[in-house]
Amino acid sequence: MDVLNQVILHENSRVGPDLEAWLQVGGEGLQIALQDATVLIPLIKEAGLRGLGGSGFPTHYKWAAVAEQKHSNEKYLICNGNEDEPGTFKDRILLEETPNQLIEGAMIAAVALRINHIVFYINPDLEDAIANIQRAIKQWKVTELYFNVSTHLQQPLEFSVLPASGHYIGGEETAAIETVENKFPFPRSKPPYPAENGVHGCPTLINNIETLCHIPHIVKNGAKWYQDLGIGEACGTKIYSLSGDILSPGAYELPMGTSLDELINLYGGGMLLNKKFKAVFTGGPSNTILTPKDLDVPLDFDSVAARHSNLGTGAMIVISEGTGIVKRVAEYVGFFAHSSCGQCPSCKTGTYYIAMLLNKIDMGLGRRIDLDALIHLCEILPGSGRCPLINGAVKVLESSLYHFMGEYEQSLID
Amino acid sequence: MSKGIPYDEALKRYQHDKEHTLPEMNEILRDYHPDYYPDSLVKLQVGINKGDLCHRQLAEMLQADARIDEADLAGTSITETNVLVIGGGGAGSAAALTAARNGASVILATKLRLGDSNTVMAEGGIQASIESGDTPQAHYDDTLKAGHNKANKKLVARMVMDAPDVIRWLIQEGMQFDQNEFGDLLTRRPGGASANRIVYYRDYTGLEMMRVLRESVSNSNIEVWDHSPVVELLSSETGHCAGAVIYSVEERTYKMIKAQAVILATGGIGRMHINGFPTTNHFGATGDGLILAYRLGAKLRDLDSFQYHPTGVAYPSHLAGSLITEGVRSAGVQLLNALGERFVDELKPRDYISAAILRECAEGRGVVVDDQTVGVWLDTPNMELREPGLMKQRFPKLFHLAKRGNLDPTKKPILVYPALHYQNGGVVIDENGHSTIPGLYCVGEVSGGIHGRNRIMGNALLEIISFGRRAGLQAAQNLSARGHKKSGIEHLTKLRRELSRANMPMDVKSPMLFPACANFELE
Repeated sequence: MDVLNQVILHENSRVGPDLEAWLQVGGEGLQIALQDATVLIPLIKEAGLRGLGGSGFPTHYKWAAVAEQKHSNEKYLICNGNEDEPGTFKDRILLEETPNQLIEGAMIAAVALRINHIVFYINPDLEDAIANIQRAIKQWKVTELYFNVSTHLQQPLEFSVLPASGHYIGGEETAAIETVENKFPFPRSKPPYPAENGVHGCPTLINNIETLCHIPHIVKNGAKWYQDLGIGEACGTKIYSLSGDILSPGAYELPMGTSLDELINLYGGGMLLNKKFKAVFTGGPSNTILTPKDLDVPLDFDSVAARHSNLGTGAMIVISEGTGIVKRVAEYVGFFAHSSCGQCPSCKTGTYYIAMLLNKIDMGLGRRIDLDALIHLCEILPGSGRCPLINGAVKVLESSLYHFMGEYEQSLID
Repeated sequence: MSKGIPYDEALKRYQHDKEHTLPEMNEILRDYHPDYYPDSLVKLQVGINKGDLCHRQLAEMLQADARIDEADLAGTSITETNVLVIGGGGAGSAAALTAARNGASVILATKLRLGDSNTVMAEGGIQASIESGDTPQAHYDDTLKAGHNKANKKLVARMVMDAPDVIRWLIQEGMQFDQNEFGDLLTRRPGGASANRIVYYRDYTGLEMMRVLRESVSNSNIEVWDHSPVVELLSSETGHCAGAVIYSVEERTYKMIKAQAVILATGGIGRMHINGFPTTNHFGATGDGLILAYRLGAKLRDLDSFQYHPTGVAYPSHLAGSLITEGVRSAGVQLLNALGERFVDELKPRDYISAAILRECAEGRGVVVDDQTVGVWLDTPNMELREPGLMKQRFPKLFHLAKRGNLDPTKKPILVYPALHYQNGGVVIDENGHSTIPGLYCVGEVSGGIHGRNRIMGNALLEIISFGRRAGLQAAQNLSARGHKKSGIEHLTKLRRELSRANMPMDVKSPMLFPACANFELE
């Protein structure tokens, strides 16, 4: 199917780890960046690029914060590819098929913010991705562009590839920093933010793989071009990881702001076996649920937030009639319970307790007091941990309670 | 001058008989073997074997919709174990025993009861090159040749080298074999072999084998789940096989068993009655394992090749399909057509003899009863004349069968006709029984590649123990400390997508679980 406005997953971009093939279509962004590094942050700001790893936080804020730091000559960039959420598989494709696009994006960031350490922080299960990145780096290191960047920085630019520890929580910013420092990925409390005090106390920028992949194209084609890719107010494109009871699941790069209906019925080929659409878990389970009445929602950060939901990583797990919501939520909360690093008691016990209650209700053994306990937990748990993991677990529960209270009540004994 | 047929005329008749010699192997198979019936084969349209030839009835099952979806698993109980063995026949028991003895916790789930399997139906014996003058090399050559050189040579080599040790292991477990007065094992020659290589116990070798295996399983710490057919395998997020969904017939509920390794030993497809043939197989041989493994993405092979045993009972009709062991032919019993003529060398490979019998019947030289049943004679009275009493001593099961049919094999020949016996193909495995899906082992009849396109007598009992033990050991040794993060039936969504895209009808459900005559419905 022809997909409008494809950029980072365009077939021209998907050339694999071969640098020469990439330089046929890319490389220009980095050359432009080297000519005048000062225009880059305003350019990103104008383009409206946001963090595509799930937060939707405007990228230029992070960049500016790191650029301001003068206290250290050493600065780090962590390219966050710890993708581990159920239902999200966009970074894997980008890392495997477009490693050079990512490296160029990271080098532009290095030029803009005078960063001299680039760490590719990748989920250890993605073995092909790690191999491809390593192959690509080897080729970059002998190019003229690489020397020009080092000259610009007045110190050598260092690359490293770091397989993550294999924990979901390792994708959290500060946990990633801990891993780079060779420690267990316990999230730190913020502030201080990584931009001031990151790896070994140095200013550190942490961006998602998808975010960084957009950079070369924005620098090459300009902010206006990027803005125009999106629909309505939204800018650029987004990779939606579509899965679940859908005829054609997969990663679709579409204009930011494509409607949910279009994603499911046009690109996803409609529901499997013509079952009825029941709900979609957006952004993977750490986010929320959209129901049939939200089919018209444009899938960009602001519009989805207006429906009390979250776009997150762009994962869309579609569920059809006949699938039990309680069971699904129990599975997801179980995932969080396993993923909790255990340093905050409320998160460690809270996630387990929620999962236990949900399983009880799902097995038809729950009572009214169990449901009340769940509702109560939704009020007291959020914000009680150092990192947002516990918030994610509560959010998916809260959202399911909001939309499918009837289904919960039906499962109760009394 | 004495009365008689003149010399010239007698010679003419003698030469007329000569004309009756059989055509070449390939020719008779092509013309008469059921594998080559026109319209019986189709190309698979879905799954990893897409484009391969497959029997029509099997293809329908392989390309059918699953019996369960997510909703059925709400609130199911979950049991965890290291190794899950599916199937309670000889292969499953051998695998379970070996895994348990190597330190794994094992659940053995079986559709019927432990031992209720084709293993107990095996009569003739088990092959192992233990006679002086015989070698594993000869065993290897015979197996490959009978399988038309289509077998996986590595697997055959493993099996024939294992064979003497398999016999030793079985004896240590307590199995009896027929012996001479010095205590040496008696042997006889299987059809298609170059030496006496079958060891046996009467004509119920498989039953005796299952007796000891069953006892060993009860004396181990293996947990046996009877009446628990598997309706689907579980897959992990990384595509490993991660357990199974079983249906408890007694409690009428689904249950989940999560495991780090699954050993599939579900047997063959006899009860699908391919091409309308009667079968020698027992009640549970409905080909479930093939379908479950295929859905998980395991590669299959030789789906168009089945074995028809030459001597299934044809009459009386209530015994149709009951097996008369090839041991009878090894011992010297001959096959005769309705004219009383011998038409084939009885010690040729099975596919050849079956095709020869079908040829006699097709060309009007078969014995017809009641206008519908047709067959040829198994000349047991002749054997009785030559070696009085031997048959009764060696083949008690044959006499038991005859009694049920109100026949006396010492007086009257038995009417026989080929019966669906064995599935030659199956799931592709390596030398340890590992399929192409990580964590999924397949042993016994459900696996493919060991026999090529035709199995030789006595290799089935050998295969189940040889590969059962290998898979059990391998599964127990490769347990990872970290289990699977997630196990579920996600792969079914993929299957349904493919079926929708290929426009397959979604009203057929598989696996079959029980033959149609069982009238069994899941809740």
